[in-house]
Amino acid sequence: MSATEHASAPVVPLWQPAQVPSPTPSKIDPPEGEDLITVNFGPNHPSTHGVLRLIVTLDGEVVVGLDADIGYVHTGFEKNFEQKTYWKGIPYAPRMDYLAFFANELAYVGAVERLIDIEVPERAQWIRTLFAELNRIHSHLIFLGTSGVELGAISLFFYCLRERDRVLDLFEMVTGVRMHDRYPQFGGVAEDLPKGFYAEAKRFCHDMPLRIDEYLDLVAGNSVWRDRYRGIGTIGADTAIAMGLSGPNLRASGVPFDLRRAEPYLAYDKMDFDIVTGERGDAFDRLMCRTKEMYESVKIIDQCLEGMPPGPVMADDRKHVLPPRHELQTSMESLIHHFKLVTEGFRVKANQIYYTVESPRGEFGCFLVSDGGPKPWRIHFRAPSFVSLQSTAMMAVNRYIADLIVVVGSLDGVMGEADR
Amino acid sequence: MAVTPVSISKAVRAGDLEQYVMLTTLEKAMAWTSSNSIWPAGFGLACCAIEMMSLPSPRYDIARFGAEVFRSSPRQADLMIVSGRVSHKMVAPLRQVYDQMLLPKWVMAMGACSSSGGMFANYAILQGVDKVVPVDVHVPGCPPRPEAVVDGLLLIQKKIRSGIAPAYDLEKSKA
Amino acid sequence: MNAEQLAAVVEQAVPGSVQAHGDDLDMPSLTLAGEHLIAVCTYLRDQQGKNFLSAVSGVDYLGYGEEVAGYFGSERGRDINRTGSWGTPETVTPPAARFAVVYHLAHIGEGPTDRVRLQVLTEEGRVPSVVSVWPTADWHEREQYDLMGIRFDGHPNLRRLIMPSDWDGHPLRKDYPIGGEPVQFTDAV
Repeated sequence: MSATEHASAPVVPLWQPAQVPSPTPSKIDPPEGEDLITVNFGPNHPSTHGVLRLIVTLDGEVVVGLDADIGYVHTGFEKNFEQKTYWKGIPYAPRMDYLAFFANELAYVGAVERLIDIEVPERAQWIRTLFAELNRIHSHLIFLGTSGVELGAISLFFYCLRERDRVLDLFEMVTGVRMHDRYPQFGGVAEDLPKGFYAEAKRFCHDMPLRIDEYLDLVAGNSVWRDRYRGIGTIGADTAIAMGLSGPNLRASGVPFDLRRAEPYLAYDKMDFDIVTGERGDAFDRLMCRTKEMYESVKIIDQCLEGMPPGPVMADDRKHVLPPRHELQTSMESLIHHFKLVTEGFRVKANQIYYTVESPRGEFGCFLVSDGGPKPWRIHFRAPSFVSLQSTAMMAVNRYIADLIVVVGSLDGVMGEADR
Repeated sequence: MAVTPVSISKAVRAGDLEQYVMLTTLEKAMAWTSSNSIWPAGFGLACCAIEMMSLPSPRYDIARFGAEVFRSSPRQADLMIVSGRVSHKMVAPLRQVYDQMLLPKWVMAMGACSSSGGMFANYAILQGVDKVVPVDVHVPGCPPRPEAVVDGLLLIQKKIRSGIAPAYDLEKSKA
Repeated sequence: MNAEQLAAVVEQAVPGSVQAHGDDLDMPSLTLAGEHLIAVCTYLRDQQGKNFLSAVSGVDYLGYGEEVAGYFGSERGRDINRTGSWGTPETVTPPAARFAVVYHLAHIGEGPTDRVRLQVLTEEGRVPSVVSVWPTADWHEREQYDLMGIRFDGHPNLRRLIMPSDWDGHPLRKDYPIGGEPVQFTDAV
């Protein structure tokens, strides 16, 4: 659209300020009154969402004031990245959001690849897509399991962990570790898929939808679950966008925004999948969105397995990519390249980029400023849990304290990425 | 009731059932029962917490070692599994939870971050949780496999059965 | 809409606000004057459809370009007696001010996301707060205040978020050390 078209378009404000309590929606101050108790939902509590501290003011059982205190697992990732060369920073990336570790790695690796302008081979893109969807299933399984644990329905937890171990088996088969693999490297992936992976993954794709049916049986038809989740933590579409929600939190409010469709990356533009949306934007819709997204992820994994193109899994750019290990014994140039890349690192021209991926929690962005040297100058990660935790106060106020647990759980926040 | 320290060679044979049947004492019986019902207070902080969560899972079942019930309240727990990186802001809650546990209590530092600060040598992370709590077992890994954590649990069981005092009891734990 | 058109439209709506514009690698970017930030953001949100604020990042440019790629020396040659010196000189121009606050905006709804980057340069580290425009900026600004020391005027709740409330200093600044314990290695890469 040209500049003149925009200028003459009718003025339609897209966000109603009155919908969001002012002055700051992430902290609700309790009203004056006696008989109010302030309770500390300390950093160590049985709801396994990590170390979140909520200072809750209660009038009986109703929440009238809420303040969130985070930072109990602040690790100084962004400072650590600045001390290491780009390649040595890859192991730091997955440890931020430890449930969606692959998405973190993709964001960091993708940002640097854009800066050094390296072309990733197609097979590597497909493999990355496959693992990104496997990681999405892994994250949603743990979300589903722990949402059961919060309500006291612990049996769902064991079912989800059984599937989660199968997902991690696939990761281990290819990368050698269950979590926090350093699998995406600049220019592709570290190694090709081994023999036997196709059969295992196909078996997984066959079994997983049946399991998700089992979970939906346990959850969606359960009247206790519906009563605990329906109508809790409702947020409208405009308010959700104003509060910065993204991912399943936003899609549950009816906004069909998915970065895999809106800004396709990896091989998503070749994949056929539906965007799962909800209607009401309450906790039950968020739960359903994530569970049904697992079906779509299985579809994508199936398409990746069927349509995987042959070819190399690593770009052939010796200035940025480590040479294959067998060449180190025969070629002097490879040895020198390896040495320079590991000790000094490659240089990245002074530039800045903001690269986003659709993590299971929402939009995970990596803002990277380079200075022409081998180390990043500034790296800032936009963590979706950090943003969605701000909405806790406005969703939980004037509701029972038991609903607060449901609200915090349904936002699916991971404190590792919220604190970084 | 105090558990008398025994020498290391006897500790190796302490798991021998015939030994108990032949020469059982009240201390040995108590040590055997308490080692088979260690209830963890999972202090799940970061990525290691996810691997700790898979301990009661169907595959790496720690219920077979008697340690399935992860108590939410530290007053009911025996073993504090510090799983994850401990930031300086978290030190006070961690020490408070440790102090609320009743004797005897054991601490497992699970993973590299709680053992030594891990890959995070910076301003934010405590370089080893043994700076604030006495640690019985360090389990290396980033994150350690669930089997490795089970191995750590078995080491604590062996420690209990052999009569070595928990780490807070500095005098007696020199076996 | 590329940077040129965007700058023209914004300048027309809020005169004197755009200091510079450019097409970055991934999106158009505007450098704004601090005092017009809220007016520009309101205009972009209401007229240009940028209803989604992705992130607010602070950048500390202290020492930017002084030591590039571990190169110690002049254009004529490296100082080979300085340890850790390698590579060739590459000049980068540091920005005009020490701190930059970078806002990433997007459009969620009908049509493409049309991402835009806004940048405000400030030497002393004070910018107006955009909480009244996008309430999601609340914690972003608190975090940048905590870690970078950038003050956001008009923020109703500007206190430390991530570090303990009695912490001294702003850790992500370039003059703040990495910390940790000294170990017995040479400071290798």
